[in-house]
Amino acid sequence: MIPLTHFLIVGACLFAAGLYAVLARRNAILVLVGIELMINASILNLVAFGRYDKTLYGGQVFALFAIVLAAAAVAVALAIILNVYKFHKSVNPEDIKNLKD
Amino acid sequence: MPATALTYPLLAALSAVLLPFLGFLLSAALGKKAGNGAIAISAISLSLLAAGYAFSQVWNQEPIHVQWNWFTVGSQEFHVGLMLDNMAVLMLVLVCLIALPVHIYSAAYMKGDPGIHRYWTYLSLFCFAMLGLVVADNLLLMYVCWELVGFASYLLIGFWFTKDAAVQANKKAFIVNRIGDLGFLIGIALTYSHLGTLDTGALVAAPETLPAPWLTVAGLAFFLGAMAKSAQFPLHVWLPDAMEGPTSVSSLIHAATMVAAGVFLLARIFPVFNETVLLVIAATGAITALVAAYFALTQFDIKKILAFSTISQLGFMMVGIGIGMYPVALFHLSTHAFFKCLLFLCAGAVIHEMQHIKETHGLAIDPQDIRNMGGLRKYMPLTFAAMLIASLALAGFPFTSGYLSKDALIVHSFEWAALQPGAAKLIPYVLALVSMLTSFYILRLLAKVFFGAFSVASANGTIRPHEVPAKMLVPMLFLAGCSLFPLFSIHPLNDGHVWLMQGLTTTVSTLPPLRMLHLVIPLLTASATCVAATVAWHWYVNGRYPLKTTGLFYRLSQNQGYLDTLYDATVVRPILRLSRLLLWTDHYIVDRAVNGLAALGRSFAATAAWIDQRLVDGLVRLVGKLAWGLGNVFRRLQTGRVQHYFTTLFLLILVILLYHIVVLL
Repeated sequence: MIPLTHFLIVGACLFAAGLYAVLARRNAILVLVGIELMINASILNLVAFGRYDKTLYGGQVFALFAIVLAAAAVAVALAIILNVYKFHKSVNPEDIKNLKD
Repeated sequence: MPATALTYPLLAALSAVLLPFLGFLLSAALGKKAGNGAIAISAISLSLLAAGYAFSQVWNQEPIHVQWNWFTVGSQEFHVGLMLDNMAVLMLVLVCLIALPVHIYSAAYMKGDPGIHRYWTYLSLFCFAMLGLVVADNLLLMYVCWELVGFASYLLIGFWFTKDAAVQANKKAFIVNRIGDLGFLIGIALTYSHLGTLDTGALVAAPETLPAPWLTVAGLAFFLGAMAKSAQFPLHVWLPDAMEGPTSVSSLIHAATMVAAGVFLLARIFPVFNETVLLVIAATGAITALVAAYFALTQFDIKKILAFSTISQLGFMMVGIGIGMYPVALFHLSTHAFFKCLLFLCAGAVIHEMQHIKETHGLAIDPQDIRNMGGLRKYMPLTFAAMLIASLALAGFPFTSGYLSKDALIVHSFEWAALQPGAAKLIPYVLALVSMLTSFYILRLLAKVFFGAFSVASANGTIRPHEVPAKMLVPMLFLAGCSLFPLFSIHPLNDGHVWLMQGLTTTVSTLPPLRMLHLVIPLLTASATCVAATVAWHWYVNGRYPLKTTGLFYRLSQNQGYLDTLYDATVVRPILRLSRLLLWTDHYIVDRAVNGLAALGRSFAATAAWIDQRLVDGLVRLVGKLAWGLGNVFRRLQTGRVQHYFTTLFLLILVILLYHIVVLL
C-alpha cells in the first residue's frame, strides 16, 4: 500500500512544475501544457483522497468531471491561442500586452 | 406762558434776523458773481426796514415772547424762541442801523479787492449772528449765535489771509474768545443744573434758587464770557491785533456787533448777578477803561488808537452794568456805536487815501501811521468835519450824544459810589480821569492827522490827497448826524430826557438821585475835557511836545503794558514747549510702542504663515503624495501581460496562506 504522502508529494511536484511553466515559459502552448500539469496534479490529489470515500467514490467522480472540464478548457484555450496567433503573429506571452486597458 | 403764534412784529423781527442769513447763503452760492455786494446791501436794508417796523410796534409796549419746541433730551424739552422787549428791539434797530452805512461804505472801500465776494458773505453772516443774538430768548440759542459772532469775526479779521499778521491776529482773537466762551458755557451749565431751564426770562428766579456761592460763580463765569467778547482787561489783547482786518470790518466789530455782544449779554441776564459779581464787573470795567486809555496815549497806528479807545469805552459800559444801571450801559453802547463806527469809517477814509498816495507815488510808508499824516483838514474837509464830530462825541463834548451817555454814566457811578464802602468809592474818580485822558488822546489823533503840515507832502510837493468818493462820504455824514444829541434827547444837556433810558429803566430799581451831581459833574468833565484838549493842542499842533519818549511810563504805554510779552512768556511759550515735548513723546514713545507692537504682530503672523505653509499644507500635500505614490506602485502591476497577473495572483494566495499558517495555527 503506497502511503498518501507519496501521492501528495508527486502532486505537489507536478503542480510546481506546472506553475513554473505557466509563469516562466515563452510559448503560449507550453503555458497551456503547464495549466494541464496543474490540473492533473489536483486530479491526482482528488484520486488519492478518494481512498477515504469507499462508499460513493466521490474523489474518482470529481476526477472524471475535472478531466472532462480540462479537455474542454484545452479545446477553448487552443482556439484562443490560434486566434491570438492570427492577430499577433506570435504565441509568446511577452509580446501580448492587450490585457491592459 | 409764551405764545407760539406769529404776529406781525414777530414776523418782522424774524425776517430782520433771517434776511442777512439769506444774503449769506445767496452770496456764498453765487461766489464771485456776488462781488458788487448788491445782495448783502439789499438784505441789510430790508432787515433795517423790518427791524424798524418791529421797533415801532414793540417799543414801550408789552414784550412779545414766542417759543417753539426745539428738541427733547430725555424728558427735558429745549425751546427756541424770540424775546422781543425794549432791549431786544433797540439792539435790533441799532445793529441794522450801524451795519447799513458800513455795508454801503464797504462797497467803495473794498472795491477791487480780489476776495470781495468772500467779504460780503462773511459780513452777512456776521450781521445774522449778531441779530440772532439780540432776539434769542434762551441762553442756548444765544450761545450758538455768540459762537457764530466769534467765528464770523475770525473770518473777517483774517480776511487778508495771505498776510501773516492777519492770520496771527484772527488766531489770537479766536483763542482769547474761547477762554470767554468757556466761561459762558460754565455759566449756562450752572444755570441749567439749578434752574432746569435756559430761558432768559426765568433767570429772575436765579437769586432765590441758586445757593449764594454758586450764584457768584455763575455770575463770574458769565462775566468771563463777556470779558473776552467785550475786550475787558486782561483779555483785551485780541482787539488791538484785530485791526489787521479791513477798516470797515473794524468799525462794525467795534460799534454794533462783536464787542457789543458781551455788554448786551450782561444786560440780558442781569438778574443773575449779585453784589459781589457786580462789584467785580465795575472794578474790571474801571481798570479796563483806565489802562486802555493810558495805552491809547502813545500809539502811532491810527486804528490802534481807536481800538484802545473802544476798549476804554467798553470799560465805561461795564461800570454801567456793575453799578446796576444797565440801561445807562446800553445807552452808552448805542451812542458809542454811532460815533465809534464813524471814527473808524473816517480813519478808513484817511487810510484809503494814504494807501492811494503810497501806490501812485511809490512811497515806502505805512498808510496807518499818524506820523505820516498831518494837515489833511485842507484836503479832506468833509472827512475832517465828520471826524471832528465823532471825536467830540467820544470826548463827551456838550451837544453830542457822547456827552449825554458819558455824563449819565459818571453821574450814576457817583450816586452808586455814595452808597459803597471802601475802595469802590474810587471808581467814579477813575472814570472822570479816563474821560480826561480820552479827550487828550483823541485830540492828539485829530492834531496829528488833520492839523499841521502834511509830512509826506513836505518831502514831495506834488502830492495832493483828495476827498473820498460819495459812497463813502454819505454813510459817514449820516453817522455824524446820528452822533449829535437830537437822536437821543430833545434837551442837549440833560440826560433825564433821553427816551432810550426812559424805555429801559422801567425794570430797574433806580439809585437815589443826587441833584447836585447833575449840575456839577457835567460842568467839571466838560471843563476837564477843554483843559485836556488845550494841552493836546498845545503839545501836538503847536509842536511843543515836552515829554521824553524814553521814560518808563511812555514805554509802558507805547508797548501796551508789555502784556503781549507777558502772555507770550507765561502762556504761549510754555504751551509751545509742552506741545514740543508731547510731539517728542508722540514720536519716540507712542510711535515706537505702536511700531513695536506692529513688528510683534508681523513676526507672529510670519510664524503662523510658516506653520500654515509647512505643517498644515504639508500634511495635506503628504496625503496627496501618499495617494499618488500608492497609485504609482499599483499602476506598475497592471502590465497587460497574463503571466505577471498569474505571478501576482500566486504571490497573493501565498501571502494569504502564510497568514493563515502564522496567525491561525
